[in-house]
Amino acid sequence: MTTLTRQDLNFGQVIADILCEFLEVAIHLILYVREVYPSGIFQKRKKYNVPVQMSCHPDLNQYIQDTLHCIKPLIEKNDAEKVVVVIMDKEHHPVERFVFEISQPPLLSISAETLLSHVEQLLRAFILKISVCDAVLINNPPGCSFTVLVHTREAATRNMEKVQVIKDFPWIIADEQEVHMKEPRLIPLKSMTSDIVKMQLYVEERAQKA
Amino acid sequence: MSRDGWMKKKANTSEDNGWAERGGYMAAKVSKLDEQFKLDAPREKQKEGTCSGIFSGVAIYVNGYTEPSADELRRLMMLHGGQFHMYYSRSKTTHIIANNLPNCKIQDLKGEKVIRPEWITDSIKAGHLLPHLKYQLYAKQKNTLFSGMIWHHNSETAGSSHCPLQPSVHQKLHLPQQNTEFSVSHSGGSSSSCRNNSIPVPVHCEANLQSTQHSFKARLVNPKLSRSESSQLSDSRHSRSSLTNPLSNQCNTKTHTKHPHKSPQPAHLLGEELKINGVLQTSLDITSHSKMNEMQECREDGFCSDGVSKGVNKAPLSNGHVHPFNGALKSEDSSLVRDPFSSHRDVSKCKIKKSTDKPQSPPKQMNADPYEFPPSPPKQSDLLPGFVEQPCTQGADGHKPPTSHEALQANDIQLLPKRLHPHTQVPAVSEQTPPSVSSRSTLQSSVRLNGSHQDAFSSDLTFLSTTSVTAKPDPPTDETSLKTSDLLLEQTGGLISEYYSHSRLHQISTWRVGFSEYVNELHSKRKATGVTSCPGKDRLRKSTAQRSTNSQGTSAPGSIKSCIFHVDMDCFFVSVGIRHKPELKGKPVAVTSNRGQGRVPIRTGANLQVELEYYQRKYTQPGKADDDLSGTPSQDTPDSYGTGTDQEAAALSMAEIASCSYEARQAGVKNGMFFGKAKQLCPSLQSVPYDFEAYKEVALNLYEILASYTHDIEALSCDEALVDASALCTEVGVSPDDLAKAIRADIKEKTGCSASVGMGSNILLARLATRKAKPNGQYFLRSEEVDDFIRDLPVTNLPGVGHVMAKKLAGMGVKSCGELQQVSLSQLQKKFGPRTGQTLFRFCRGLDDRPVRFKKERKSVSAEMNYNIRFTTVDEAECFLTNLSMEVQRRLQEAGLRGRRVTLKVMVRKVGAPLEPAKYGGHGICDNLARTVMLAQSTDSGQLIASAVLKLFHAMKLQVKDLRGVGIQVQLLEGNQSVTHDCRGPRTRSIKNMLLGQGLSATSNNKDTRQYPTVHPSSSSHHPAEPLPGTSKDHPECRKRPKHSRTRLNFSIEVPSPSQVDLSVLEALPAELREQVEQSWTKREERPNNFHPLNLYISSPDPRSASPPHPVPYNPPAGTLVLQIPNQPDSPGIVLELPNFSQVDPDVFAALPKELQEELKSAYNRATNIQAQVKTVEQKNPLLQLKQPGVGIGIGRVKRRYKRKNGVSPLKKGTSPLKRRQVTKSPSKTIPPAVRPQEPMNVPKTENDPSTSKQETPASVTPSVPRPVPALAGACELTDIKTLLREWVTTITDPMEEDILQVVKYCTDLIEDKDLEKLDLIIKYMKRIMQQSVESVWSMAFDFILDNVQLVVQQVYGSILKIA
Repeated sequence: MTTLTRQDLNFGQVIADILCEFLEVAIHLILYVREVYPSGIFQKRKKYNVPVQMSCHPDLNQYIQDTLHCIKPLIEKNDAEKVVVVIMDKEHHPVERFVFEISQPPLLSISAETLLSHVEQLLRAFILKISVCDAVLINNPPGCSFTVLVHTREAATRNMEKVQVIKDFPWIIADEQEVHMKEPRLIPLKSMTSDIVKMQLYVEERAQKA
Repeated sequence: MSRDGWMKKKANTSEDNGWAERGGYMAAKVSKLDEQFKLDAPREKQKEGTCSGIFSGVAIYVNGYTEPSADELRRLMMLHGGQFHMYYSRSKTTHIIANNLPNCKIQDLKGEKVIRPEWITDSIKAGHLLPHLKYQLYAKQKNTLFSGMIWHHNSETAGSSHCPLQPSVHQKLHLPQQNTEFSVSHSGGSSSSCRNNSIPVPVHCEANLQSTQHSFKARLVNPKLSRSESSQLSDSRHSRSSLTNPLSNQCNTKTHTKHPHKSPQPAHLLGEELKINGVLQTSLDITSHSKMNEMQECREDGFCSDGVSKGVNKAPLSNGHVHPFNGALKSEDSSLVRDPFSSHRDVSKCKIKKSTDKPQSPPKQMNADPYEFPPSPPKQSDLLPGFVEQPCTQGADGHKPPTSHEALQANDIQLLPKRLHPHTQVPAVSEQTPPSVSSRSTLQSSVRLNGSHQDAFSSDLTFLSTTSVTAKPDPPTDETSLKTSDLLLEQTGGLISEYYSHSRLHQISTWRVGFSEYVNELHSKRKATGVTSCPGKDRLRKSTAQRSTNSQGTSAPGSIKSCIFHVDMDCFFVSVGIRHKPELKGKPVAVTSNRGQGRVPIRTGANLQVELEYYQRKYTQPGKADDDLSGTPSQDTPDSYGTGTDQEAAALSMAEIASCSYEARQAGVKNGMFFGKAKQLCPSLQSVPYDFEAYKEVALNLYEILASYTHDIEALSCDEALVDASALCTEVGVSPDDLAKAIRADIKEKTGCSASVGMGSNILLARLATRKAKPNGQYFLRSEEVDDFIRDLPVTNLPGVGHVMAKKLAGMGVKSCGELQQVSLSQLQKKFGPRTGQTLFRFCRGLDDRPVRFKKERKSVSAEMNYNIRFTTVDEAECFLTNLSMEVQRRLQEAGLRGRRVTLKVMVRKVGAPLEPAKYGGHGICDNLARTVMLAQSTDSGQLIASAVLKLFHAMKLQVKDLRGVGIQVQLLEGNQSVTHDCRGPRTRSIKNMLLGQGLSATSNNKDTRQYPTVHPSSSSHHPAEPLPGTSKDHPECRKRPKHSRTRLNFSIEVPSPSQVDLSVLEALPAELREQVEQSWTKREERPNNFHPLNLYISSPDPRSASPPHPVPYNPPAGTLVLQIPNQPDSPGIVLELPNFSQVDPDVFAALPKELQEELKSAYNRATNIQAQVKTVEQKNPLLQLKQPGVGIGIGRVKRRYKRKNGVSPLKKGTSPLKRRQVTKSPSKTIPPAVRPQEPMNVPKTENDPSTSKQETPASVTPSVPRPVPALAGACELTDIKTLLREWVTTITDPMEEDILQVVKYCTDLIEDKDLEKLDLIIKYMKRIMQQSVESVWSMAFDFILDNVQLVVQQVYGSILKIA
C-alpha cells in the first residue's frame, strides 16, 4: 500500500512526454509571435484548450520534431537544465532567447492528486503568456532565424555525442556567439511548480535590437 | 461431431474459463482437461474421418492469440494424434504455438520451442511432421518473413473458398458483418454513402479515389494500407471479447484475400480504403465526443456497427494506455497532409516518408482538430489508424525501418488462418448453429487471449460470472449483504474489532508503543520524585565492588565514551512458547496458528501457483514486477500445474510462521514462511500456538529488568530494546561485557528465556553486533573492528534497507557495505533522496548518530486491514471505512494526537489475479493505491476522517468487489496532550490505560466503534477540507467526542454564535474586534443556533498597534489557540495568538475557566520553547531566518479557500507588516527586536481591520517540505506579499533598512527558487507603489532593492531584469 513513486510509472518518460509536447507547441507559437516566419505558414489550432499557432511547413515541423525528439531523452533523465529557443538576427547574433528552465519540483511524487489536467492548466498559462509576450518585447529586426539550444546538466553532452537519437541529426556545442548576448535584459514570463515538474520561462532580450 | 459432444465441450470450456481466471485447482483442472481431450479426440476423429498420428508425442500449448485459433489447433491436434495443453507445463509441453509474443514472454520462454502455428497446418498438409526449425517464431526475423510470404500466396485460394459460407454466420453476429460489407462494397456506392455520413470524410474519400486511380500510386498506398490493416487487426483483437473470435478472424482474412489483387484492381482497394475510413471515423469519435451524433448517423448508415465502433473505440484507448501521447501524431501528420503548398502527390509521398522515418514523432495532440477549425481540411483518415497503432507495434526499439516490414508481418499474421479454414472453420460454421459457435468462441477466446490487452475485460466477465461463488465462503460479506446499513455498520465494525483483537501484528505493534510509554513513564516518575530506584544497578554496583576488591581492576571500564546495548530476545515467540515445555527444547519449533500437519483442505477458487509465481517474479525481476499480471506468463502459461507435488503444495497450510527456533532455522525454515512449506522442509517441525498472555508477561519482565538498570531505554518491540548504557557503565564502573552478562543472566532467570545482547558505540553497531551475538550470546563490536566487520556485511543487514532498496542497490552493483562505501554521497542522495542517501552513506561506514530515545515521536497513526476484506456492495465498503475511521480515531486519541493529512490506502485485486487468493482471507496479488487529502485542520475525529476518506474512496471509483485491503493513515500529527480537555468531553483514556489495557482487550475498541454506529451517510457530503460553516450538521455523536482542533496553521475564523459568547468577554474586546465579531454574526444569522459553549478565543494580534486597552494584551508568540465550535465537526476553529505571558493580566487569567487556563498554560509552555530556539538563531543573523521551514503551500491553500468563502482578509497587519512578524517572534522574523520600538505605533489602519487577524505560526508545523518555499515575513502567496508590501509602503514613512534587506533577501530567494515570474511581479508591484509614494525615500528604497536584485539576477542568469 504505497503511493506510486517515480519508479513505478516511468516517471521521467511521462514528464518528458508532457514537456516535449508542450515545447513543440511553444516553439511553434514563439516562431509565430516573434514573427520569425511569415504568418502565412501558420495555422490556428487548439491546444490546452486555447488557440495556438502551428507551422505547417513540413521541413520546419520536421526540424522542431527532430529537435524535441532528441531533447526528450535528456528531459527523461532530468539532464536538460534549459531548453532555449534563440532568435538570431541576420548576423546570427541572438536578439532574443526564450529560456525554458526545467527542474524537478521539491517534492517529486505522483500521488492520486496528481492530475494531468492540472499540469495542463499550468502549461496553458505558459502558452497564453507566450502569445502575449510581444507586448513586453521590442520588435525583432527583419530576417531573423532561430535555433534551439539545450543546456544540459553534468555530463549529459557526452552521452549525446555517443548516442544519436536520430540519425544524421547530431547535436553540436553551441557557438559562443549564439549563446552570448550583448546587454541582455531578462523578462520573466511564467513559472510553474506542479507535482511532476517545475519550469519557468523567461525571455532574454538584447537591449539594442536594431 | 455430435451435438451432445459439443454441448459438453462447451460446458467444459466455460468452466475452464472461469477456473483459469479465478485460479482453481490447477492440477485437477489440467488432468481433467487432458481427460476431456482424450475423450473428445476419438469422437472428433470419427466425425472428421481423416485422422493421422502425425503429432504423436507432440504436446502443444497455445500462447496468446494465434491464427488459426487455439481451439482449431486443439481440434487439429486431436485429429492428428497430438496433445493440447490448456496450460503450459515446462515438463510436458513440447511446443509452444504462438503468432507473436511480447518481449517479456520471449524472454521467459527462452530455450523453449516457440513455433508458429503454420507448422501444424503445414505438417498436416505434408502428411508428416515437418521440422519445426523453419517455423520458429523468434529464431530470425528473416525466417518469419519468409514463411509469412509463403503464406501470403497459399492463403489466397483458401480464403476465397470459404468466403461464401460466411454471410450466414454474420447475420447472427453484428460486427463482422459490417466489415464484410465494407470490403465487398464497391467504390461508387460506398463512397457516396460515405459522403452522406457527414463531415470531413467525403472530401478525403475523393482524394483517395483520385490517388488510387493512378496506378503508380497504388503502390505508394500499399504499405500504408497494410499498416492500417494491421491496426485493424489489433482493433479486432481489442474488441475480442465482444467479437467472436474465429469470425473476426474470418472477416479479417477475407479482406486480406483481396490484398494481392489490389494493385491491378483499384476498385477493391477502394473498398478497403473506405472500410478503413469507417474505422477511422469511429476512432475520431473518441477524440471528439461532440461528434457523437454524426457517429450515430454513421452507424445507421450501416457503415459501422456498434461492434465495430466499440472495437475501434477500444483500440485507441488501450493504445493510449501504452503510449499516452501518441494521439499527438495524428494532428502532426494530418497537418502535413493539409499543407496547402504540397501537391497531391506530395501528400502521399509525405505520408510514406512519415510513416517510415518517424516511428515516434514528437507528440502534439490537437484533439477534435477538424471540428475546431473548420477551414482546415479533413484528415487523411486512412493514415490515422496506422499512426495510432504505430508506437504500439514499434514498441520500445524506436528504430526506423521496420514499420513497413512490421506491417507486412502483421499482414501475414492475418493471412495465416486462411489455410486452416477449409479444414476447420468451415465445417464448424456450417455444421453448428451460429449461437453455439459464438458462445464457444467467446469463451475460448478469453482463455487464449490472455496476452492481449483484453485481459481486464475478460477477467471482468468471469468475475461477474463467479461473484456468487466467491461471495459464499466469506461470512461477513455474505451475511451483510442482506442487512440494513445499520446492521452492516455494526457488522463491519465487529469485523474490525475482531480483526484487531486477533491480529498478531496489530497486538505486537501496539505493545511497542506501550513499552515506549512505559519507559516514558519511568522517566517522568523519576523526574517527579527525583529518586531513581534501580535495583539492578545497585546489585551490579555491589557485585562490581566485590569483584574489584577481589581482583584489582581487571575489567576496568576504561574510556568507554558511548555504549549502546541492543537487547534482543532469542526467537522470542518460540522461547516463550516452550519455556514451560522442556520437552520441546532443542527441537525445531515454530510458532504459528496452524496446529495440524501443515495441510489444509483445498479451497475452491484459489490459485496458489499463480501467486507464488507472481511474487517470485516480482523479486527476481524487479523491473517487471509491476507489469500487468496478464502480461506475464503465469497468466498465459501457468506452467507446471501437472505435477503432483504442486497439487500438494496448494494444499499446504498458508499459516505463516511467526517465529521459529534456531534448530528449525538450520533446516531452512524462516520466519514468515508458510507453515506448510516449512513442514516440508523440516518434517519434525513442531508447532506451538500463540500465547499472547505469556508474551506480554515476558515482555513486561524484560522491560522491568532493563529498567532496573537504567531508564535510558528505547523500546523497539516487545522483545527488543535499545539501552544506552554509557552512563551506567561509567557510573558503576563495569565493563559493557559484564553488564551484558548481568542483564542476560537476569533475563534468563526471570523469564526463562534467553536474550542476546549486541553492543556498540552507536545504535547501528549495537544492532549489527546482535546478529553476531545470536543466539544466546553477546558481542561487543569495538570501534576498531568496525571497519572490517562492516565491509563484508550485505547491505540488507543495514536497518532501513529492505528488499526494495536492496534491489535498487544491486542495480548499482552494490551488494555489500564495502561496495556501498565506494558510492559517493551525492550519488546516493540522488538515487534515494537527500535523507536516505545520507543515512546510507553513514550507515555503511558504521556511523549512526541517532540517540537512544526513550520517547518516540509518531509520524502517523493508521489502521489497516487487508485480511478478509470482501465487500459486495458499496454500502458495506462505506460502513467499513467509517468503522475503520473510528478505529483511527481511537488510536489517535489514545496517542493524544491529531493529524491533518488523511491517506486512504486500498489494495485492489490486480487485474487478472485469481479472485480468491491462496491464503484464506488473504489479499492475494494486489495493486496498492493511495490517495491523500489535506484536512482544513488537524483532527482526531473519526467522523471527519471518515467523511474525508469516503470522498477519496468515491473519487477512486473502485470496484468494491475487488477491494482486498483498506487502510487509513493520518499524518502531519500534532500533539494533543498539552491541550487540556474540552469542557464537555473529558478524555478518560490515559497513556497508562493504553499500556495496561491494550493488546488483548479490544473492549475499548469495541466500545468506541459501537459508540457511533449510525453515521449518517450525509456526513460524507461534508468534506472537511472545505469548511462550510453554515452547512455543517449537528451529529449527536460529535458531542460525545472531545474536539480540540489545534491548527496553528489555520487561518480560518469561526465566530461563535452570539448566545454562546460570554458578553463580558465580548465587551472587553477592543472596539474593532467587537465590531468584527458582531459583523460575522449578522452574516451568519441564518445559521442554526444550537452551538455549544466554546472553548476559548480572544486575542488581538499586536498589542501595541491594535489595542492598547486590551484585556488580555498580546504579544503573540508561537502559541495560538483554536476557537472551536464544538458541534460543528467541519468548521475550522478560531486560531488565535497568545500574548506574551508577561503581558497577560493575571486577573483576567484567573477569571478564565479552569480548562481554559490549563490550555493557555500549556500553550505558553510550548511557546517559550519555540521562542527560545528562535531567539538564539535570531541573534546571529537577522537574515538567516528568512527561509521559513515548513510553510507549505497547504497553508496558502487553506487561506485562500477560506478567504473566498468568507471574504474576510485573513491578513491583518498592524504596524509595519514586515516588522510585525518580528514582534510575534515567529521564526520568520528577521529583524532584531531592538528595532521595533521605534516604529510608529499609531499607524492608521488601512482597510484591514487588524483586530481579528489571524496569524500563521509556522513554527508549529513540521511537515517534511524539503526545500522551504521562499516567504516574506511568513507570506508566500503573491497576494499576501502584495498586501504586506502595500501596508509596508502605505503605513510607514521611513522604511527601515532591515525591512528593505528582508525584501531583498526574499527576492533573492525567489531567484534561487527559480520563480522569476513572481519576482517580476513583485518588483513591478513595488515599483508601482514605491514610486508612487510621496516620500522619495521609498523611491530610493525601491532603487536599492532593484539594484540588489539585479545584481543577483546578473550573477545567476547573466542578464538583468528588464523593468519597463
